Amino acid sequence: MEQKLRQEAKALLEQGKVDWIIGFEPGSLKFTTTPLITKDKNDADRLVINPFIVNNLADFLPEIKGRVGIVAKGCDSRSIVSLIQDNKVVREDVVILAVPCPGIIDLSKVERLVGKDRDELDDVTREGDKVIIKVNGKKKEFPVTEVLFDHCLACELPTPQEYDILLGEPRPPAPNLEVSGKDIENLKGLTPEQRWEFWGNELSRCIRCYACRNVCPACYCQRCFVEETEPQWVMPVPRWQDNLLFQIVRNIHVAGRCTDCGECERVCPVNIPLRSLTREMYDMVDELFHFKAGMDKEALPLMTHYEQEEAEDFFR
Amino acid sequence: MTATDISHRKKFFALGNVYLPHIVVIEKIIEETPGVRTFHFNFKDKKLGKEFSFESGQFGQYSVFGIGEAPFCISSSPTRRDHLEFTAQRVGRVTNALHRLGAGAELGFRGPYGNSFPLDFLKSKNLVFVGGGIGLAPLRSLIWNVIDNRNKYKKIDIIYGARSPADLCFKYDLDAWGKDKTVNMVTTVDKGDDTWKGKVGVVPKILEEVAPSAREAVAIVCGPPIMIRFTFPVLEKLGFTPKQMLTTLEKRMKCGIGKCGRCNIGNIYVCRDGPVFSYAQIKNFVSSEY
Amino acid sequence: MANKKVNKKDIAKLLNQWRQQFTVLAPSKENGVAQMAEWDGKDTSFLDWYRNTVIPPKASFLPPMEEMFRFQKDKEGYHIELPPTNEHKQLIFGIRPCDARAMTILDMTFEEAYQDPYYLSRRKNAVLVGLGCTNPCESCFCTSMGVSPTESTNVDLMLTDIGDQFLIEVVTDKGKELIAKASGLKEATKDDEAKAKETKETSYNKITRKLDTEGIVDKLQASFDDEGFWEQTAAKCISCGICTLLCPTCYCFDINDELVRGEGTRFRSWDSCGFPVYTKMPMENPRLEKWRRVRQKVCHKFEFYPMTFNVIACTGCGRCIRLCPVNWDITQVLESVPVKTGVRK
Repeated sequence: MEQKLRQEAKALLEQGKVDWIIGFEPGSLKFTTTPLITKDKNDADRLVINPFIVNNLADFLPEIKGRVGIVAKGCDSRSIVSLIQDNKVVREDVVILAVPCPGIIDLSKVERLVGKDRDELDDVTREGDKVIIKVNGKKKEFPVTEVLFDHCLACELPTPQEYDILLGEPRPPAPNLEVSGKDIENLKGLTPEQRWEFWGNELSRCIRCYACRNVCPACYCQRCFVEETEPQWVMPVPRWQDNLLFQIVRNIHVAGRCTDCGECERVCPVNIPLRSLTREMYDMVDELFHFKAGMDKEALPLMTHYEQEEAEDFFR
Repeated sequence: MTATDISHRKKFFALGNVYLPHIVVIEKIIEETPGVRTFHFNFKDKKLGKEFSFESGQFGQYSVFGIGEAPFCISSSPTRRDHLEFTAQRVGRVTNALHRLGAGAELGFRGPYGNSFPLDFLKSKNLVFVGGGIGLAPLRSLIWNVIDNRNKYKKIDIIYGARSPADLCFKYDLDAWGKDKTVNMVTTVDKGDDTWKGKVGVVPKILEEVAPSAREAVAIVCGPPIMIRFTFPVLEKLGFTPKQMLTTLEKRMKCGIGKCGRCNIGNIYVCRDGPVFSYAQIKNFVSSEY
Repeated sequence: MANKKVNKKDIAKLLNQWRQQFTVLAPSKENGVAQMAEWDGKDTSFLDWYRNTVIPPKASFLPPMEEMFRFQKDKEGYHIELPPTNEHKQLIFGIRPCDARAMTILDMTFEEAYQDPYYLSRRKNAVLVGLGCTNPCESCFCTSMGVSPTESTNVDLMLTDIGDQFLIEVVTDKGKELIAKASGLKEATKDDEAKAKETKETSYNKITRKLDTEGIVDKLQASFDDEGFWEQTAAKCISCGICTLLCPTCYCFDINDELVRGEGTRFRSWDSCGFPVYTKMPMENPRLEKWRRVRQKVCHKFEFYPMTFNVIACTGCGRCIRLCPVNWDITQVLESVPVKTGVRK
């Protein structure tokens, strides 16, 4: 798959079919990759595909000028489609290099599983449905489902539907789709007061780095409401009430565009379980409007149209 | 370049919490143009008002309590001290709030901050003031300062312009300087109207026409960034060296005292090491960011 | 004063003695993220898991947000009231040498010219008890930034792991007082000293990430206008604030007012040069483009700070590398700064 990707990427640049290639190259730390954004065909040889290609590269599309060849997992491709629906990206300007994705390894889960930090591990490899973790020279084997990101366990589209070049055999959706994460289920069992307290606590850690927003392909606004000063909707101080308001409004703003790629939660430096908010919104959008973001590029964006049979009790 | 020595500026407000504003009271408001107002103010604490001193070019941080703080240069001259003045264009959150205030309203004031125009360096020189729009505010503090000490300086040229006659600020000053026989006052607008009898053309172009000599001269330039960018090359053409060109920079500021970081360009903090710079100081380092 | 030692199992006892007089802060994950937090009087499990905190200890001196003052208006006009001064003393237990050095670097800015009363009063009242790193992270490059992972330079007391015990170096007068107030400490023997030396050497050699900063100021100066280089460097940056807000030497802050039913508060809070709004003025923004902001961040630390204070504003703690969402690696960036002849004047 990697070899094919490198050949295709090189050819695209050589033939002038794209100006840019966006993909992944090995990162500077163990088990990491890093986005590679290049115009140089020689860089194509650095491209990799492995269980650690975490980033949703669609995030870079709106800011890049020119035609782009982009490596996309299923979830990333949904973000690309969503951007096309929103007229932020022109379909003809993107060449989607589709990666059939078996799920991405969540190193935080690996850390919890073996009680070691990621840089203390000798190796983490995936073999089919197993993950093999080598610590202090000893091998430990776990079912891969124990270390995949929650959103990967709930993945509806491992292989991009919308693509130009398919880099491998298509894969079926994740088997236990109903999983939207244990945390979310637990939260649903709480009273509104308890949930309010829970989120107040979680959001008290927020330092307003805005990584969740900036890493999100659906958050492409040039001017975000948090930065508006007239009127000032949210105080730009990391106080839990303001942090919570920021997250609530952000979540509403990405409703119908969030593809549950999980990036917001992954990048949060203070471990706020943000996907518990976004996934709940994702499910609500599905339930109320039968809409899943980025599944169909011909579909009208959720917030731009209204249908008679849409659940009106929403507007009580 | 090491950190600027500001010991000479610490005489006032040296003790206590530098972030605490003093209360000042707006005494009078002059509508310069539809979006620009000059505020005359004085310290609420009269004793403090007497102790207060500043130099032309310095700025203050003004609070509209509950809205926020913004920096403005003190646009009045230290030679005329029955009140202080600053001039603000209505462009953002704080300035919008300022423009809603009337005489008698209270503001917070911290300062004076920053360096000032180097009077010693200007002494016995020909002075060429080049201003655009509201950029005349810091210049006018110096111009009145110089006029009030007229025998210390030689020839004075003032080239000032705005987009239209309605956008000219400080018309009362322009009139006064126009009548002053010791001053060569040239006013221009980018686009005239039926009643406009002065020059028409952008400031750098008119400057080229007026062509003040660079001999023993210093040019002091302040205006919108675009005007500044086009004025320096004209001055160079006229023979001014980078050391003979002064300007005051405007940047977003929060603390005003070289800590909060946002006015940092190159190794200078505009608030602490400026706002007055010679072109020689900024031309290489901050190339595209001034 | 000669060095002391303390049994690891007696750390709680020691901290409780200091707790009489100080608010003791120690590494904690209680609130969901590793940070220095008020110690509960019992738990010393951090000795097992603690490598470094995510939130840098600067947060105890320059908190993510703080009240600068309150104000309200009555018939006579506005009145300003300072928050209760933070006179209670903090003892930071377990600060790493990189972060301790960062405090010294921050002092330069907050002491220079105008004194910053909020930061400096906390700093003046605090004591730092350092704990040498024996298990540094893969992303650490402190040794390249002139810091040894076990050095005692910027703390009052320094602890070094010597097996079941910690060797305690008494560094400053504040440190001496701390020792004088603690009972149950033993004198360190020659053997202990030798063990400590060995720990220090081993730890030093565990730092494998290297960065050559020789001539970095000149190199950056020469490349300041190299737009192509900076655009390429910034390409994958997402302009979030992680690397700056969580940098132990970054100090930029914002100031904002809030008015609720006539009661006003002026806040100061962390800010980042990575944000486009940071330099945004109503009419223009000198650093609207991402590459300019990335350049500012790099140059501020490695060019401007050295020019002003003769020290690089980076201690190699590696947080920016470990926490970056896109693995933007400052060491790689600095290594890739083009070497140019003809340095601009």
